[in-house]
Amino acid sequence: MELEALQQIYADVRGLGAQIVVITPELERYTRALHKKLNLSFDILTDLHLKIAEQFRLVFTLPDYLRDLYKSFGSSLDRFNDEPEYRLPMPARYVIDEQGIIRAADVNADYTIRPEPAETLRQLRSLSAAAAD
Amino acid sequence: MASLQQRLDEFKKSFESGAPPYNAPYEAIETMHRATAELKATGIEERALKVGHRAPSFTLFNQDHAQIESTDLLRHGPLVVSFFRGHW
Repeated sequence: MELEALQQIYADVRGLGAQIVVITPELERYTRALHKKLNLSFDILTDLHLKIAEQFRLVFTLPDYLRDLYKSFGSSLDRFNDEPEYRLPMPARYVIDEQGIIRAADVNADYTIRPEPAETLRQLRSLSAAAAD
Repeated sequence: MASLQQRLDEFKKSFESGAPPYNAPYEAIETMHRATAELKATGIEERALKVGHRAPSFTLFNQDHAQIESTDLLRHGPLVVSFFRGHW
């Protein structure tokens, strides 16, 4: 759902001179299929073994009891992400300016809460307004 | 159109009702809530990079196995980076 929602703001984001990338631990053979299926205009980047997510300090390990539950549902993180330890990034969205400084950050440990794309657009607009001053 | 969070909340409501098509058992939902609460309690959200920090630069492969560098992208303007746990 989140990727489709980002696709809907893509044209506006580009109109503001900005770009979108999605970073996921998922392996390329899966991101390729997902990208195609959703017909996305932005890249999905594979962060193998969460090296970049670690640098943003977003990584946690699923507790054993949750790992067992997901396995019982048939979810296999170890296959999709090559993560035998069942580590994941928290959902997070950042707006980074041209100097590489984080200008907006939305991080939530509750994976059922995702930042609103409309809010991301507002943040980009205020960034470009500030740059025009 | 409904906001992303409204649609996520609808899904969550349907999933947690225990009704078809998901038929999620009550114990499973409780387990998920417990895990989220425990994760929040570790203070991990406060440790994540924040506004004002320098974003780490990255070089990663995209879905077509092309190498993408954040420094290249930032030369053209601001960058939105969304971390996604995958669709497993």
